[in-house]
Amino acid sequence: MSPPAAAYGGPDWKRFTSHVGEHVLVVPFSRVYDLSADAARNFDAGSPDARAAVAALAAPAEGEVALDIVEEPPVQSLSLNVSVHCNLSCGYCYAGRGNFGGRQGAAMSWEVAKAAVDRLLAGADATRPITVGFLGGEPFVNRPLLHRIVRYAADAAGAGGLDVRFSVTTNGTLLRPEDHALLRAHRFAVTVSIDGAAELHDVQRPLHRAGGSSLADLIRGCAGLLAEPGRAQVAARATVTHGVVDLRERFEAILAMGFPEVGFSPLRRAAPGAGAFLDEDWPRYTRAMIALARGELAQARRSGRIRLSNLAVALKQIYRGASSPYPCGAGGGYVSVASDGRWYACHRAVGDPEFELGGNDGLDADARRRFLAGRHVHAQPGCRGCWARYLCSGGCHQEEAARTAASCDHVRDWLEFCLSAYCDATGLSHAPDEAPPPTGELAP
Amino acid sequence: MSTTPPMKLLPRNAAAFRAGSGREARLAAGNPVSTRLESGVGNCFPGLECDVRNLDRRFFPFLEVDIIDNFIIVAAVDLNGAERSLAVGDLPEAAAETYRRLAGGGGENITWLVTRLKGHFGPMGELDLEVGALSTPSNGRPVDAWTAVRLLDEDSEVELTLRPYRRTGTLVLKGRRARYLDGNGALAAMFQAGELTQSLCSPWTHDFRDCGCFYWASNHPDIVTPVRLAAEPADPAWNRHVDWLRSERSMAAAPPPPDQGRDTNARRLLQMDHYEINHAWQSLHIVLEGREQGTPYVPRAPKAEALDPGRLEEYLRYVAGVELAVMHEYLAAAYSLRADVTGLSPGLADDIRAARSEIMRVAIGEMTHIRAVNDVLASWLGRARYQPALQVSRTLPLGGGTQVRPQAALPAAIDRFIDIERPSAGVDGLYARILATLEKHGTDEQEQMVRRIMAEGEEHQQTFEFIKVWLGRHAPVDYLVAANPPVPPDGHAGHTAVQSTYQGILELLYDGYLTGGINGAQSVNGARMAMLPPNGLAAQAQAVAAEGLLVVFDPIDDPRFVPIDAPQDAV
Repeated sequence: MSPPAAAYGGPDWKRFTSHVGEHVLVVPFSRVYDLSADAARNFDAGSPDARAAVAALAAPAEGEVALDIVEEPPVQSLSLNVSVHCNLSCGYCYAGRGNFGGRQGAAMSWEVAKAAVDRLLAGADATRPITVGFLGGEPFVNRPLLHRIVRYAADAAGAGGLDVRFSVTTNGTLLRPEDHALLRAHRFAVTVSIDGAAELHDVQRPLHRAGGSSLADLIRGCAGLLAEPGRAQVAARATVTHGVVDLRERFEAILAMGFPEVGFSPLRRAAPGAGAFLDEDWPRYTRAMIALARGELAQARRSGRIRLSNLAVALKQIYRGASSPYPCGAGGGYVSVASDGRWYACHRAVGDPEFELGGNDGLDADARRRFLAGRHVHAQPGCRGCWARYLCSGGCHQEEAARTAASCDHVRDWLEFCLSAYCDATGLSHAPDEAPPPTGELAP
Repeated sequence: MSTTPPMKLLPRNAAAFRAGSGREARLAAGNPVSTRLESGVGNCFPGLECDVRNLDRRFFPFLEVDIIDNFIIVAAVDLNGAERSLAVGDLPEAAAETYRRLAGGGGENITWLVTRLKGHFGPMGELDLEVGALSTPSNGRPVDAWTAVRLLDEDSEVELTLRPYRRTGTLVLKGRRARYLDGNGALAAMFQAGELTQSLCSPWTHDFRDCGCFYWASNHPDIVTPVRLAAEPADPAWNRHVDWLRSERSMAAAPPPPDQGRDTNARRLLQMDHYEINHAWQSLHIVLEGREQGTPYVPRAPKAEALDPGRLEEYLRYVAGVELAVMHEYLAAAYSLRADVTGLSPGLADDIRAARSEIMRVAIGEMTHIRAVNDVLASWLGRARYQPALQVSRTLPLGGGTQVRPQAALPAAIDRFIDIERPSAGVDGLYARILATLEKHGTDEQEQMVRRIMAEGEEHQQTFEFIKVWLGRHAPVDYLVAANPPVPPDGHAGHTAVQSTYQGILELLYDGYLTGGINGAQSVNGARMAMLPPNGLAAQAQAVAAEGLLVVFDPIDDPRFVPIDAPQDAV
């Protein structure tokens, strides 16, 4: 139960319980503490002691950056929209099969891609990893450029002493053995879009031209990589559309194909009739996600591995104390390069002037500053009073218009579940009036 | 001010720990990392990283004193501090005036001495001491000025009487004995950065020569085995102790002359003189593993041969069994020592207490090794194939294989323990083969776990060497509960209780290890609780020992715990 916001000017803590005891999340910097029963009562009553403790803990610790600052970090990651076509025609595609409704016409050239990578290498903080991502359309439609730019970036980064990593989001249907070899040889995060078993996947993600099963092509394309991923990390990502009832069946179906982990993304925004979530979908989706996550936690206690990406990422973020005024790196450490060399804050915003931040010829610093200031979570009126504001940070910029009370309730309910799950997973309460700390890692 | 205790929030994620550590572990300006305890290069010897006597130089508010023998000399006065205290009403004007005079307010350059010290001196109670008259024997008083200051109770009322050196007149000051730590447990603000180390000497200089071991930020050895020219010289004299500070530094074919033992005059003649160490410090050798090093140090390469990886499981199960078996032997020996030492001479009582607690510590160390070996096994086999290794071995890898033989802590038993723990032999030799295998086929984590066990084995051997010395000073009849304690007879109630608890502990460990991780913690913790007083294994075993019987554990007829034999080529 959160204390009443009006009492002290904004929820800077979130009280929650787990099977191991009482806890509090200090919202700035996402600090999680165990509480004794007395301390929990103090928080629930919004006592001066509790407020003073939170006020002290809400200050940045060493190495942390104040949350009201609009940072302008160097660009460490960019995605190249290497292709403007796709061999599938998914109704919900944000990119209009790659041409963004005509805003991205011709495929990316070698010169444009190379210039973007050169600019990334020149401006990045060399002590931290850089990432080159590939999007489209389907990136492997433009296979020659993708291969060439990976080799170029790897060589150039190596010569400059930079640690380069790659990512690609693909429908998996066009992958060939030479692609597998490339993905295995580099540190690639490979995200394969797959929505479930054939009867669902083939409907939501049909082949563009001929009839047939896109899932069959996907399985053919990915099998070799899944069997032998090398340095690549392969994960599946499933889009969930209106009418969701149960996720388990899709989850199991995708795992059965050999994917080591699966993440779900609800469709918040799409063309009319393409299956975007309605308010009525969110409670169902929350229940389905929590049910799936509970099963996965039980499974993980046996196997030691969590296969639901949403849960694994959330637990990892809670452990670290992830806390950011931005939901992603868009416009900050990350930009997306359109096929014409223009830079956009986000790969979903190609061609949108509000998201344009310059190009290969130079980052538009003013535009970038305006974008970041406008997207800061403190600038979102609906987010200021929310305890989840530094974990959710307002959600995807592109989906802002689709944000409703129901979708925000989902975020809070899911995060509260994950906070409890984190405490359950990390053992007995350390609070003084509870049992002694777990000693399972100690001898004998 | 609120009287309720501050609310405790116990951190559970990294961000919460960051909030705590950022406030506590911030670097103080002026204290380089080299002043931290863990940075002391002499940590391998019991040296000093700070001189606690510097604390007492500020025992009285606003004064800094030098304490030398029976003199307490005012070295500095914090007049600003005194004036501030006066301004807020904490210090009377008369006292402030006294501080002004001590600070030379009259324009005279006077040295002030504390001649009387009145206060509460810890266990010695209220005393009014004439500082110059303190002496040995103490006659119920502190033996010298520093001891007196040290004994003063923190925050208690202290009265100083001060006199100007070689002049007449006295001043009296009252104040509270300063608190050396602030409310957060950090050094009080009055101490300057680096102040606690200021009296330490610098190594490798003039009086490093013959100053005692205790005032060095870094330490030096007294005797060593000499640097040798051949890898394995035939003459045993190369293994004789020599004086590390010897002035004869030639690298001759013959070994250097032996150390002169306790004859300090003879030693002195053979050592470098003060001026020599200033000139020739670089010729003093670095010492590793007790031996001077003449060439760049190369760690001893493990001589053990790697196993066929298919056999590693068999070896790990055996070595876990060996750990259990030596634990049986060590516990039998520990409990054979007298638990009640009242009425014994202090020397005998101390030796028994030390030996008993050290053998017990080593036995507990073996228990941790059982856990570590099981962790390696689980990680080697994978959780799906792993079954805990908790079968006691029938033999120990000693002298071609010897039966497990629990016995009292007689000299022969201690010698046997030394052999069991000897590096490159016995148990260590077994681990060396496991390590060589993991170096080729295992993970870094598995390798490190085995290395840690091996390092602790070496420490165990040294511990038994010490125990041999301690117990060797007395006759066994004086330190044993019974001269030759027999194994408990069949059906003995106390022994039956021990055996039952022991089996219960193994079952809990089996379940805990098998489950692993957090879920297994409850069982492992249950096993631990079953050992502890008042009704645990420790108390039950002590009851058996008190009857003059040997504490032993019978073989268990359960496939999980049934005794195992050594692999054929293991001993």
